[in-house]
Amino acid sequence: MNAFPREYALEFSAVSKLYGERAVLDRLDLAIPSGSVVGLLGKNGAGKTTLLRCALGLAKPQHGTVTILGEPAWTLSASAKQYLGYVPQTPQLYPWMRVAHLLDYTGSFYRRWNGALVRQLAADWRLPLNQRAGTLSVGEAQKLTLVMALGHEPDLLILDEPVASLDPSARREFLKVVLEIAAGGNRTVLFSTHITSDLERVADRVAILQNGRISFFGELGELKDQIKRLRLVSVNTFPERFDMPGILTQRIQGKQALVTTRLVTPEMLDRLEADWHATVEVEDLNLEEIFLELHDE
Amino acid sequence: MCIDTLTHMAADFLFQVFPNSGLPIYRQLIDQVRHHVASGRVKPGDFLPSVRQVALELEVNHMTVSKAYSLLERDGVVELVRGQGMRVAPRTAASENGSIRERQEKLMPLLRQVAAEAYQLNLSTAQVKSLIDRVLKELDQS
Repeated sequence: MNAFPREYALEFSAVSKLYGERAVLDRLDLAIPSGSVVGLLGKNGAGKTTLLRCALGLAKPQHGTVTILGEPAWTLSASAKQYLGYVPQTPQLYPWMRVAHLLDYTGSFYRRWNGALVRQLAADWRLPLNQRAGTLSVGEAQKLTLVMALGHEPDLLILDEPVASLDPSARREFLKVVLEIAAGGNRTVLFSTHITSDLERVADRVAILQNGRISFFGELGELKDQIKRLRLVSVNTFPERFDMPGILTQRIQGKQALVTTRLVTPEMLDRLEADWHATVEVEDLNLEEIFLELHDE
Repeated sequence: MCIDTLTHMAADFLFQVFPNSGLPIYRQLIDQVRHHVASGRVKPGDFLPSVRQVALELEVNHMTVSKAYSLLERDGVVELVRGQGMRVAPRTAASENGSIRERQEKLMPLLRQVAAEAYQLNLSTAQVKSLIDRVLKELDQS
């Protein structure tokens, strides 16, 4: 498949997924370029898992199209699946199988199974090869699922909250593996999370899922460059509300104001200074703060 | 061999990033390179560590490092040497970035911020100027 490099590893076009009356995904568009590492960010219940399941053809949207590795997700061929890796939120393992056996068994389904890589990862992560899967701790089970998803060196790796049950050191080890995968340059990774600090390290792009749609998709640096908090102090009293494009939140108290905006331009700052005889201070926000500002309704 | 030389030449170049900071990681990297160049700790002709090296060491995405390097290259701070990596450019390259006036203009937004803050802090013009002199002197000495 690498012989036919495609621009996008995964494409959503006007995708709606309804559960009863409720549209979890609402005409959602998203195109993930091949070779990128994308962090999918959203509140609990925003529909992250639904989005990932639609991507994999595990859930069928009522409207729109999902294209994964060049094929429609819902009718994905067995050969395309050879290039896909998926780690669900809750590990699905046969409890009676021993770890080593489970790894061999998984490998038997794939044409390009990298046994050496699997043994290496299993050793690095101290997986108890002779233990039965049912007796593993939550963290161990998650690591095992991850090794199973990496063994065939997939072109596209989809991870649903991959680090949720890992302790901080295991999380760092895991992130390192994702970074190594990313450094190869031709693999695509999509992972959902609500741990923003992990995302800041590993991802080169962030997708924010909000109200059934992607409210931002782009480089993390770009997001931080765009969204700023302005601290305004004036000799006069500010109006009750500022009416300017791009404002996300505003808190105004007499001669002081805190305004978060997604469109900071030098012209805008000049205008604010001139219109209100104000001094304007521009503050950088980290991803967590940006996330909170975007969800402050 | 090549990698050994690179490691050696870039040995005392240590990046430090704070992923949780509001400043994008690529900007943190750019600022640090510029600072090291300005302070003379890194000299023209020195090589920066490779993108891969930095990404692995800092545990950040290689695209982020790569973006920082290409912006530094665009601004003439470093130059790409084929097969060897990013080399700190001779100082003259910086002046190709436009006339003195254009370069001064680039500094204006930062200075305006300084002026506004100084006003808030009730500092006089002379007091602010003496601070700027001090900072510039520090740069010269290091």
